[in-house]
Amino acid sequence: MALVDIRRVTKEYRRGEQRITPLKDVSLTVERGDFVSLMGASGSGKSTLLNLIAGIDRPTAGEIVIDGTDITKLSRTQLAHWRAAHVGYVFQLYNLIPVLTAWENVELPLLLLPLSRADRQRRVGIALKAVGLTDRVDHYPRQLSGGEEQRVGIARAIVADPAIVVADEPTGDLDAETSEQVLDLLRRLNEELGTTFLLVTHDPKASAVARRQLRLEKGALLEPEAPRFTLRTGEG
Amino acid sequence: MWKFAPYVFKSLWRHRARTALTVSGAAIALFVFTFVGAVQSGLAGLTGTEAERSLIVFQANRFCPSTSKLPEDYARRIARLDGVADVVPVKVFTNNCRASLDVVVFHGMPADKVRSARDLKLTAGDWGEFERRQDAALVGQALARRRGLAVGGRFSIGEVTVMVAGVFRAADENVLYTHLDFLQRTRGLNSVGTVTQFEVRLAEGADPRAACRAIDATFRGGPILTDTRPKGVFQARAVGDLAELIGFAHYLGFACVGLVLALVATTTVMAVQDRVREHAVLQTLGFTGRRIFALVMAESLLVSFAGGLLGVGLALAALAWKDLAVGAEGVSIAFRPSAGLAATGLAVTTAVGMLAGLAPAWRASRTEIVASLRSV
Repeated sequence: MALVDIRRVTKEYRRGEQRITPLKDVSLTVERGDFVSLMGASGSGKSTLLNLIAGIDRPTAGEIVIDGTDITKLSRTQLAHWRAAHVGYVFQLYNLIPVLTAWENVELPLLLLPLSRADRQRRVGIALKAVGLTDRVDHYPRQLSGGEEQRVGIARAIVADPAIVVADEPTGDLDAETSEQVLDLLRRLNEELGTTFLLVTHDPKASAVARRQLRLEKGALLEPEAPRFTLRTGEG
Repeated sequence: MWKFAPYVFKSLWRHRARTALTVSGAAIALFVFTFVGAVQSGLAGLTGTEAERSLIVFQANRFCPSTSKLPEDYARRIARLDGVADVVPVKVFTNNCRASLDVVVFHGMPADKVRSARDLKLTAGDWGEFERRQDAALVGQALARRRGLAVGGRFSIGEVTVMVAGVFRAADENVLYTHLDFLQRTRGLNSVGTVTQFEVRLAEGADPRAACRAIDATFRGGPILTDTRPKGVFQARAVGDLAELIGFAHYLGFACVGLVLALVATTTVMAVQDRVREHAVLQTLGFTGRRIFALVMAESLLVSFAGGLLGVGLALAALAWKDLAVGAEGVSIAFRPSAGLAATGLAVTTAVGMLAGLAPAWRASRTEIVASLRSV
């Protein structure tokens, strides 16, 4: 069974008198351990799709089944619990908590899970080692470079060992060299830890790191360029 | 919830100037609140149940103790009335009949009556010395501290000079007890054979109102009319104007509570507005709305409680240190620090902290994640 199974998802909202449909009748599956990139121009609906998969937005129609759970049927509170255990989110602007150290930022999602202090410490240590930041654990976000902040953000996303990590333009705020390092880190985590990644980007270089590339245009998924994913746009 | 304590404390520390100002404001308000509470509890102490079981016989149509001159032999006739258990003649001398923050009240009483009619616990000196010396006096602890009096020292107000034979702890510590004879014979007072008032202790089951009427009726045809009231009523009347002022101060206490509410609510609202995006990030990580609500409430409570703790602590320390009392017409109202007062102050500050946090916490808990993540 696919890890992510999106069935005929539509997202609509109103802005004044205008009805906007960033996603229309989109279907998609992603296998466990895959690394998928989602490309598209601004307003193509790629971030909307990512947010729906991350469970921080709700579709107007359709089903989103992740790891066997239809998250569209969960209440607001159930969805929060589900996010804590199943999704890691990497933000474009890192969004670290400024008053917490790198270590505390990475530990934050674990505080929501039934783990002992020792277990939390072990997991945070592993996550920070995976992103190569063991020497910066006591630093606050303001004391880190952009690349280091994003690596802390990635460590925070993988620390709870989620079913899927979604990344929204993770290199959008970084210079070319740092972007390459971050993308290489994501690729390595996917290969070595088997973490499933869904990456949203408008940068073809970033997209190329993924094993599968998808493109969204005006709310609809286009033909795949790679052969290993299933795409069912607008199927009946 | 303790796991999140570092985040709560660090969030408050992030805007430490704002937090410190709010805590200071809350502390000042709670300082005033506690002070007002201390005055009110002192006033309430004058009219307690014990004060209902004793009567004060005063000269009719007189207010200041220096103008009330009752024949001392009235005591024998009062003692014969039904329901009367004991009669204590008291000569009252005060340094100031008008409202004052440093009232010194001398009570001249027979030495044996001081011991039997008053619940005094000596903290220094001894009864024997008091009973032996005519000019000996027992001084209330608060008065002794305020005036720097110690056993063996002398203390003068006007023509009256006494030797301090003991210091006591009691409900009213702004009084000085000396011998009735001594006070009556003091030059300038010249009141041998007269007393200011009689303190009448009623027998079990006696009706205080009926006893008052009976006493006043006894002397209706005599040379000097009496006005008898339960001790609580008498004291409340004596400090009548002050009581009104203290009643008004009650509103000052409410205003202080309102001030803390406004201060803490403003700070919490600002803290939530500053962190719309941060709360959205926390929700993205899996924090439930309820947990965000609890975190914001914890911040509001902490700020309010810290201010309250500081204000109540300072007020209690100031009250204990200064031993203040306000008095009029020989009756004093002590500003008393107490555990009950501290508990009330802290309960109020906790309730206010919760109330102040409700709206911003609710708002933070209902954050729309996607829209908030896009906010700057």
